[in-house]
Amino acid sequence: MAYLELNDVSKKFNNIVAVNQFNLHIEKGQLVSFLGPSGCGKTTTLRMIAGFETPDAGTILLDGEDISKTAPNKRGIGMVFQAYALFPNMTIRENIMFGLKMQHKSKEEMAERTDNVLELVRLKDTAKRYPHQLSGGQQQRIALARALAIQPRVLLLDEPLSALDAEVRVVLRGEIRRIQSSLGITTVYVTHDQEEALSISDRVVVMNGGLIEQVGTPQEIYRKPDTRFVATFIGTANEFHGAVAENQTVNCEQINISTSRVADYTIGKKVVVLVRPENIEVFDERPVGSLNNLFEGEIDTITFHGAITRLGINSGGRMFTADVNITGRNALTHHQHVWLSFNSDYCQVMPEA
Amino acid sequence: MNTSKKQRAASWQVIIVVLFVVYMILPIIATYIFSIATRWDRTILPEGYTFEGYREAIKNPYFFITLKNSLVLSVASVLVSLIVIVPTVYWVHMRLPGAKPLLDLLMILPFGIPGVVLALALVQVYNFAPINRSPILLTAATVVFTMPFMYRSVSNNLEAVDIPTLTEAAQSLGANLFNILTRVIIPNIFPGILSGSLLVFATVFAEFTLARLIVGAGFKTFPMLLVEYTRKDGTIAAGLSVISFSIAWIVSMLILWVSNKGIKSSKDVINAR
Repeated sequence: MAYLELNDVSKKFNNIVAVNQFNLHIEKGQLVSFLGPSGCGKTTTLRMIAGFETPDAGTILLDGEDISKTAPNKRGIGMVFQAYALFPNMTIRENIMFGLKMQHKSKEEMAERTDNVLELVRLKDTAKRYPHQLSGGQQQRIALARALAIQPRVLLLDEPLSALDAEVRVVLRGEIRRIQSSLGITTVYVTHDQEEALSISDRVVVMNGGLIEQVGTPQEIYRKPDTRFVATFIGTANEFHGAVAENQTVNCEQINISTSRVADYTIGKKVVVLVRPENIEVFDERPVGSLNNLFEGEIDTITFHGAITRLGINSGGRMFTADVNITGRNALTHHQHVWLSFNSDYCQVMPEA
Repeated sequence: MNTSKKQRAASWQVIIVVLFVVYMILPIIATYIFSIATRWDRTILPEGYTFEGYREAIKNPYFFITLKNSLVLSVASVLVSLIVIVPTVYWVHMRLPGAKPLLDLLMILPFGIPGVVLALALVQVYNFAPINRSPILLTAATVVFTMPFMYRSVSNNLEAVDIPTLTEAAQSLGANLFNILTRVIIPNIFPGILSGSLLVFATVFAEFTLARLIVGAGFKTFPMLLVEYTRKDGTIAAGLSVISFSIAWIVSMLILWVSNKGIKSSKDVINAR
């Protein structure tokens, strides 16, 4: 049995389905993120685990105990909010001790645990200050420390980094992961930022319209998307619509794409072929040897992203997006004639919806 | 050129401020002076000064009775107002935001209904023992009458703080409703509660119409005594006004001083925004 189980959990608000038949098992010590666009039901699901919303149907089991109807203050679940939610009238130390006071811990234990969590988030010297005297990133670390001080059974984070600067966001997500794995605390992390979800999670739950689209490791989600939604929501993908033909090819308008992934489909089946931009190679001249899926075109757009450069290539009216590393290659210019190719193993094929 | 323009603007501002202060303070100063004047109708300044008026007022056996009655009535009104309004406003903010427009509308009614109408209506409706003509009915009436002051102060303060999220944060840390209210919500809306209480106290302490019409002579309040004297002796009436004003002022200072700690944390709340 999994540590945290959501079985057939559903929730409606004014007859609008927010979460529909949500099933998920989370093992102890894992960090699982809920990823999806706004309104996909990820926050509602998190709030049902926390107890701030009651499921209309289904059960939530924590360590074998049904907590679906338990009051939020009796669940022993720690929560970190997007808006930090530190108590403005209390010092940092008082904020962290709040949960321990509610548990009627001894003075010595409260002091010890407070010191420990402050050490953990590396903010020991802020103990006597008030929340407004701290930066956003520091406040969120204190909020994390406050949630951890009560030694919660599960830690929930609701878009904890959304209100912070890009730089602080990257540092803090690393901190969260470091603390989470060092404590081995079961964690659910809600975000709409795919990069965040992919970089810190053991497993990612991609949600859309109140339904789970896919559950998998970050690699699985990125490399083997189950649905077109996942493929396009996570990263960028070139999409080609066509019908399955013989010899492992897909007939798209004007072009044929060779792919090793069509074995499951009958001939004539309408499908979508998806290719990641980083899997497309770009050549200045026609490459020697026989390459699969070789097309020629003209560079239309060049966007510099730092580590990579994204090219928009027009091939007979069809646009390809390709990511290339410009280090050690000839400069690319607008309207330059190029050749592009991608391996037939790198194509994702899914049925036309 | 530029600086002279600025200076002229500054002198205009000073004139406006001075006019405003004179307008506000002159009647109060005049009342103070009149209360210690021997005769003040033939000269610009009084002909002489005496504390005879105050001595007369304190000699009246009703002086301390009415003072006590008014204090009891004011304190009771503040307490009832706090107990009824603070949890209600909090609950509406948290769980029934849809009811807020209705509550806002209800809170304008006491301004729209004259005290006389309210008093006569209450006397008619609650015309049965033991509450007819009782101080309890009067307290209920003053609470209704001053409700907008408490409601506005508390409600505005609640809106300035992210109460729903703070409540959920406290819940997730294991706090029950009592702890959430006493440790998180009330400390953070304390400035609003304080200013609401001051307004209610001052208004009820100086309230005449409701007291006169609902309880009459059975529970004489300080303003009732004051009005009696305006018909008999202007100097004593002025003295009582000064006392009434001073008490309201002293109570305000006292509350502000006692809650110095609360004010500090309220500054933190404001700075945090």
